[in-house]
Amino acid sequence: MALRTRIAVTFLLLLAAVLAAALLAVSETNRRNVERDAGVRLDAGMLAFSRLLDSNRRQLTHAAHAVAADYGFRDAVSTNDTDTLVSVLENSGTRIGAAMVVLTSLDGEVLATSGSQFRPGMHFPLPPVRMDSIDGDNASGFIVDNGRIYELVAVQVSSPLPVAWIAMGFELDAAAVRELAGITGLNVTLSVKSARGWTDTVSTVAADAIRRDDVVTRRIELSKSNDTEIVAVLSRSLAAARAPFESLTRALFLIAAISLVAFAFAAFWLARNITRPLQDLTRAVGRMRDGSYDGVLGVQRRDELGVLAEGLELMQSAVQTRDQAIRRLAYEDTLTGLMNRTAFVASLGRALGDSAAAPVAVAVINLHRFRRINEHLGYSVGDAVLVKIAERLAAVPSVQSAVARLAADQFAAFATLRDADTVQAWGTSLLVALSEPVFVETQPIDITPTLGLAQASPGTASADGLMRCADLALERARREKRALALFEAAQTPAAPDQLSLLGELRHAVEHDELRLFFQPKIELETHRIVGAEVLLRWQHPTRGLLGPAEFIPFAEQTGFIRKLTRWTLDRAIEQGARWHRAGKALTLAVNISADDLGDARLDSRVAGLLTRHQLPPPLLTLEITESGFIEDPTRALRILDAIAALGVTLSIDDFGTGYSSLSHLARMPVHEVKIDRTFVQGLESDPEFAPVVRSAIDMGHGLGLKVVAEGIETEAAARRLRDLGCDIAQGYLYAKPMPLEALELWLEGRVRVPVIAVPVDFPIEDLADTVNLAVY
Amino acid sequence: MRRYRRRVCALLVISLAPGAFAGTVTVDVTTTTGIKAADVVIVFDPLDATPPPSHGKATIDQVNKQYVPRVTVVRTGTAITFPNSDHIRHQVYSFSKPNKFTLKLYAGSPPTPVNFDQPGLVVLGCNIHDHMVAFVGVVDSPYFVKTPPSGTAELTMPAGRYRMRVWHPNEIGAAPPREITVSGEAMTIPLIIDLQGAPTAVAAWPE
Repeated sequence: MALRTRIAVTFLLLLAAVLAAALLAVSETNRRNVERDAGVRLDAGMLAFSRLLDSNRRQLTHAAHAVAADYGFRDAVSTNDTDTLVSVLENSGTRIGAAMVVLTSLDGEVLATSGSQFRPGMHFPLPPVRMDSIDGDNASGFIVDNGRIYELVAVQVSSPLPVAWIAMGFELDAAAVRELAGITGLNVTLSVKSARGWTDTVSTVAADAIRRDDVVTRRIELSKSNDTEIVAVLSRSLAAARAPFESLTRALFLIAAISLVAFAFAAFWLARNITRPLQDLTRAVGRMRDGSYDGVLGVQRRDELGVLAEGLELMQSAVQTRDQAIRRLAYEDTLTGLMNRTAFVASLGRALGDSAAAPVAVAVINLHRFRRINEHLGYSVGDAVLVKIAERLAAVPSVQSAVARLAADQFAAFATLRDADTVQAWGTSLLVALSEPVFVETQPIDITPTLGLAQASPGTASADGLMRCADLALERARREKRALALFEAAQTPAAPDQLSLLGELRHAVEHDELRLFFQPKIELETHRIVGAEVLLRWQHPTRGLLGPAEFIPFAEQTGFIRKLTRWTLDRAIEQGARWHRAGKALTLAVNISADDLGDARLDSRVAGLLTRHQLPPPLLTLEITESGFIEDPTRALRILDAIAALGVTLSIDDFGTGYSSLSHLARMPVHEVKIDRTFVQGLESDPEFAPVVRSAIDMGHGLGLKVVAEGIETEAAARRLRDLGCDIAQGYLYAKPMPLEALELWLEGRVRVPVIAVPVDFPIEDLADTVNLAVY
Repeated sequence: MRRYRRRVCALLVISLAPGAFAGTVTVDVTTTTGIKAADVVIVFDPLDATPPPSHGKATIDQVNKQYVPRVTVVRTGTAITFPNSDHIRHQVYSFSKPNKFTLKLYAGSPPTPVNFDQPGLVVLGCNIHDHMVAFVGVVDSPYFVKTPPSGTAELTMPAGRYRMRVWHPNEIGAAPPREITVSGEAMTIPLIIDLQGAPTAVAAWPE
């Protein structure tokens, strides 16, 4: 839920709750007040009602007394003068407004009457004498006569002893009830219970109104005899009592509703006032996140939000400054101010995307021997030269988009050309721009740029690819000692291939795709087999059996060679140990590359393997090319010393082709040298080559080393080498490199033939592809 | 309204005095609660002789808004004077059938006495003081007595047979008149009457 809504709704709910509670309290209080008020009024009404009846009674009593005390009346009573009596009764009744006047004997027999249904001789229901009245000769009560209710007072007539009762009554008619209602402020109903049930004789309200739920009543029993009961019911309608309170409640509700609406508007206005700038700020922050820092926040306030906006604005400019700095660092060459490689490649990519139709050309420029400038003239001069060159390149008009410094002495540029034929011309124009010497502090410095050009073709759609093409062209130019070379499609690098090759090679080691092949070494003098050189083959799952030339150079380049060497040493030593246990004294020779000598732990590895497989060290020969110790002779020497100390035989491979000095050779702990195969091949093709071979062999012998020749293919060469003093020979003449099983068969064949026997042909048809026919 | 049990317990013991011309009769009246009864009227009507008429006089005073005495017995033909001893005026009236009369409001001595010439009970009242009531028993016989507060009264009358009537305004269930014989000797008649009647009721006059 949005902040605005949440604020507004929260406060609205709060207000609503407060109002509801207040209204509830008021309603509840009103309701109680109404009921209590009704009760109080009813109680007061009851009091007033009984006072009124008392007052009536007193009035009647007085009137009756007056009549009873009248001498003439007494006379009439004692003489039983009925006509006179009736007239007296009528007269006295009229005098006080009594509806009924009755004269009865002491027993209640009607003697005379006025205004009632009773007739002389009938029994009149005299009310009970009130013992608590001041004088005991009067009685009061209520009777029903002809469906009308009377309040009755009876007084004795004495002459002077009691002789009769005179009863006088007011009728409680509608007028009387209205008067009662008017005085008490209540509704008055008089009900009579007879044999037929209750009857509302007279009432100020509609029938049954007093029996409703929202009416409170008080019941006053006026008279109760066996079969007749007279009650007065005072009632008050709660609805009527509530009316004033209800108008108050309605007013409160109205106030509540108005305040709710007003509050809602106010809350929404206030919330919007708070949240709108917040939304503005949120949008601004969103813009900043997207990298746009020049937006105006648009919040002009003096409150906390204004302060926040101001802070954000400051932050925005700070972030913008920092962002620009970071961009410069990330995409610019700090020295020349040109793009760096990242920026250049991105820019080139955009250009390639933009101009699908127009050909894009990339030039990679290398400054030949720039390192010498740094070395001889100092880095400040070198930097100055780079800056100048950058300026010149950037000034070439055809360089449409970008020039960049890729590395210390490498620049690149690209241009969108009009057509493909102008590539060469464009490259030349760049060369021309750099042909003039660069002046640093009046000192002219010659620059020799080499330039590789590549042009975008459908095959090299990516900027990276195009850059690599240009790199390859540059390589070619350097190799061919040309100032400029254009990339040709045939040059497409095998880089993807090689990358996958590394993975495959790793896979090969882990999944046992590599095979050890063995090529026997023969002692020329005795024709005895003294050992075998271990060679590596790769049983590639798709490409078949691969020779070392197809993956060893790559492994050396990538450093994977160490892993290969370790694997080969392990397997070869294991096999040598197996032969040793079988009683075959065969020396196994394993090739160690120059990179392996960089492994400081090579000696301990070899020692470990020898111990593990229980191979006597003299049965292991490590063949090292001369180049192996050219790079860091001291280090190589240290490791070779350590290995020689183990008792392992060391052999110099490709002897005679390297650059190693004889002093080096003399100090090295080697035991044999292996003359390079070019000497042997030369020996066969050119008789003049013999002294060179002899010198090499003599030199080996002179240093106390055994001399091994490899690549021997003819009997004549073998014979010649033996004559020259070579000790051990290896070549197709004897056997091709072959897998273990074939070698063992081959060895078996050899053993059957006495070592000193005249050599005979010994065909092994099964191994025809790997083993040359032995001629012994 | 309070009700009293009606119980009559009258014991009459007659003692005859032998061979005398006149005898003394003593009546002794007590109430059922054992109290001596005053204002009890006892009348002896001679059965053997007719007494001569009489023209006596009697007085009923009005003191402190009361008739004094409250009960009076006179012979038929007696003139009763109603002096007023109060400082206020009184009226005297009677609606009784035997002797109906009215004395208008007066103070001091009334102008004339009222002649009671019919036997029977006369109830007197004052029109302006309703509580004032007096009873006058008018009888033909010269032998009658009204008990004093001691409840005992003596009467001398010739020997012979008499009809004895007993009355008190508040008596309940009076015994009917009866015959007694008076000899020359003194005799005592003990009487017990019930006076616990209602204050408003007046006992019927025994004829």
